[in-house]
Parts: sequence; structure tokens; C-alpha cells
Amino acid sequence: MKTVIGLETEYGALLSGVPQGMRDLFRQEEMFQKVRDHIFHVQKKGLIDQHQRAYDEPPGNGGFLRNGGRLYIDMGHVEYATPECHTLLDLVRADRGGDLLLQQAVEDMGLSDEISFIKNNIDHQTLATFGSHENYLVSRNFPFTERGMEPLVAFLVTRQIITGAGRVGVSYINDSLISLDTERPPVHFQISQRADYIVNKFYQWVQMNRSIVNTRDEPLSDPVQYRRMHLLLGDSNMSEFATAMKFGMTKIVMDLVEEGIAPPIGVREPVHACRAISHDMTMRWSLQDLEGRILSAVEMQEMFLEKASKAYAGRDEDTDWVLEEWEKLLTDLARKDPAVVSDRLDWAAKHEMISAFRESEKLEWNDPWLESLDLEYHNIDPSKGLFRILEDDGRHRRLLPPSVSETGTTCPPSFTRAEGRALAIEQILENPDMLYIIQWFGIQINQGDVLYMLEPLKSYRDEVSDYFRKYLSDPSKG
Amino acid sequence: MFHDGSVVLFPERKTAPGSPGRETQKDAPVPKRPETKKSGDRLMDRMKKVDPNQSERYRQRTGE
Repeated sequence: MKTVIGLETEYGALLSGVPQGMRDLFRQEEMFQKVRDHIFHVQKKGLIDQHQRAYDEPPGNGGFLRNGGRLYIDMGHVEYATPECHTLLDLVRADRGGDLLLQQAVEDMGLSDEISFIKNNIDHQTLATFGSHENYLVSRNFPFTERGMEPLVAFLVTRQIITGAGRVGVSYINDSLISLDTERPPVHFQISQRADYIVNKFYQWVQMNRSIVNTRDEPLSDPVQYRRMHLLLGDSNMSEFATAMKFGMTKIVMDLVEEGIAPPIGVREPVHACRAISHDMTMRWSLQDLEGRILSAVEMQEMFLEKASKAYAGRDEDTDWVLEEWEKLLTDLARKDPAVVSDRLDWAAKHEMISAFRESEKLEWNDPWLESLDLEYHNIDPSKGLFRILEDDGRHRRLLPPSVSETGTTCPPSFTRAEGRALAIEQILENPDMLYIIQWFGIQINQGDVLYMLEPLKSYRDEVSDYFRKYLSDPSKG
Repeated sequence: MFHDGSVVLFPERKTAPGSPGRETQKDAPVPKRPETKKSGDRLMDRMKKVDPNQSERYRQRTGE
């Protein structure tokens, strides 16, 4: 796939000790600052910002990392953005690298008993939600209109049967914003963490009125050539397999849409359908297309798979892997048994695990213990997290050996401008007196010339080397 | 590729991941059905150790 993809993750935090109510939010923020400062100032795994990056990003709030990604504090969360990735496994490695960065800092500081980072998207008490944002580089020719994106919306509403991270319980918080069901049937377990919080088909904001397709236009690259598709309806996956499938399938469908060869299909009342599919643990997943036909989410996904197989089979290794696994998954999902896919999909793995525990302990679905297990599935601490046991015991499919995942903390992906950015960071770390501004799209040293990096699919290694060679030979030229 | 024990230089492409299919065949463990008693017990033991009320303590700010 000739593309650039990236993932932003907002982590939650579970503090130990006696709960102190709202004061815990301050404790949490203090803990985030300690962890961030340790990563940048003690472990030297990146460069903290020296400049005011935005109104809510003062100097020192965050910075770019040796792997080319970024770590910062945003909206009361530690947020990690992967560097720009060219392949699915680069993305998986960079994503896992973020988990490892945080966990290694916590252990290094001796804070393992005080804080756990939870890679999920909700809490069960305050109905807060926080994000997992996907980024896909597409061309400016992408049909960014309501009509042009109907197929993309249909795909996104139904892809959750593969990409959902699962959750115990339900949130009806957004019923005050939109008119959905008047009935509120009990939902013990659902497929997606974010579905209850999506209230629009298209919208540009990210903290409220969240939409199926976010319409913010911030390419962070050459705006004449590119658009950055920014999706915030997805869940934070623990599963490497589900993460790779999420990005692989979605990029393939964006390619179909851009080339005008996607299935000519749309979903009637997509916001409602998104939530209804998530709540339907019978796995029937019925929805209506724009012509009023009743289809299942599996059938709709099969339409996209069929078009993609015809158009892109043999294109490259990533594409072939996605097409093959997509077909297997849809066949398995049609059997309507979560156990069949629990070795690959988060929601199914979590459902199987919690259902077995509930039966063993004879608990009702509304027992708070099950919510606690839901959280612990997402704990990134390998000595505590439940998902990690599934993975370590070979019960959930892993794509990378741990030794490769480890390199994701410091090595940038190949073939993107993350390489050049990481090279610049190494140079500055070796010359700590330098003043610097680092952005996704360029770097500046000692208030000199800006080296723009507007082409995400270029490494910029030579340009960065020349830039620093020029500065180091004559610092006054910056 | 490590330098001075801590500084990581750029990986040669051979150390970076290839495609998921090829990597899985090479190094990553093949997934199994949950059939061994030992595995089941390890997961169940860890689940029993989870504080039943910890979700009460998990209160986050709304993010993006």
C-alpha cells in the first residue's frame, strides 16, 4: 500500500490508594507530568517542545520522540501519536512502542504500584470518552462530499464487527443530543467502546458532536496534494491483528472511494445503525441501505471485500494479507459465535473471557466486577493486563515478536519523513545547546531557515543531514 | 541496532517488519484455541485478583 498511516491514542490512568474523588484528576495530571518529564528529561527518548505550539500546548507540554512520534498531555490525558508509517506492521510496531514507552517509564520510576495506564476509550462512572484517532493520507482528489463518502460511511459503520474493542455496559448519554430509540433496552456487553458517543455523520469537532467521518482539514503536509483523513469513531485495540486489519481494510476502502470503484451503497440513519450494530450481541447486525433493503453488516462488508479483491489482489503483500484475512473473518463471523474469532478480535476475546468468569463466579451482568475486568483487559502493564495473558499464552494472534515491538520505542518507520525527523532529533540530542522547533511538517534550528518536510512519503534523510552539516560547520547560518 | 548501549540508530530494513503474513509465519507464535488447563488457570487466577471495585476508581476527563 503506497500510503502513510498513523494513530493517536489517549490513555486513561488508574491510580491506586484511597479514592479522593475529583482530587484524583489532579493527582492523575501530576502523575502524567512526572512520567512525561522522565521520558524526555531522564530517559532522553525525545525532545520536549521549547516553543508555544498552540494555545493549549505551552513549552514543555510535550515533544517529539526518537521514533519520530509525539507524546504530550492533552485534555487531561497522556496522548501518544505514532510517527508516520508506511506499512501495517510499522504501524503495529509504533503503536506497541507507545505502550512500551509509558510502561518502561512507570517501571523506571518505581511507580508500578501507584499508576496503571489503561488503553481504552471510556470510563463506566462518569460517561467520559477519549480517543483513538486514525490518520490516513489521501489525495486532494478524494471525493470529500456527502455523496462521495456514502460508501465510506457504510464501511465505517459496519467495520466495527472486526475492529471493536468491546465493552461491558452501555451509555445513553448522547440521547440528549440526538433523537434515537425511545426504548432503552439493557445492554450487558457491546462490540464497540465508541459507538454510543458518535452522534453525527459528518462534523469537524473532535471533543463533542463526534462524527462517523471527521471533516477537519489539517493535512500537516502539502495541502495542494494531500488530505489527511482523520477518523475518531474507532476503539483503542489491544490486539495487534485487529489494529492491522483496521488500518488495512480502511485504507483499501478509501482507495476504492478515491478511484470511484467502491460499491454504490449507503446506510440509512447511519448513526443509529452504528449503535444498533454495537449493541447486537446476537451477531445478526441488520441495517438498511439507502434503497431500503435490509442487509447484515457481514453482507455489507462482503460487498467491499469483493470490489477490493477484484481491484487490488496482488497489489502488494500488505493488501494481499488484508484481503485474505478479511475473507476468513467474514466467513467466521457469519457463524455467529464469538469464540470462533476470539483469537483475532478484541471484542470477541473480551466477551469470551468475561463470560467465562461470570459463569464461574455466578455473577450477574451488572456486577461492577465485570466492569473492572473490562478495564483490566486494557491495562498495558504486562504483569497486570488481562489481554497480555491471552497474547503470551498464544491464545490471541500476535503479529510481531516482542523483540521487534521493543524497537518501536526508538526506531522510526522506514520510507516516511519520520526517518528524517528522527535523525534531526538524534542530532539535537547530541548538541543540547541548540534551539529548535520541530513540527510534523518541518524543523528549524537556532531560528534559522526552516527545513520543510511536506512530502510524508519521503524520508528526508539526505536533506536533514545537509541541514545539520551546514549548521555544524557554521552555527551562525542556522 | 544499538550504539553506546542506549542510543538507537535507524534500523536496516531487514530489522523492520515486513508484511503481516510473512512476519507471522516467521517469528510470531501461531494462535491456539484456549485448551490448556494451565493457560486457563493463569487467566482465571489473574481475573480473580482484579479489585472488583476498581472501575469505581477509574474516573477520566472527556478527551477527544
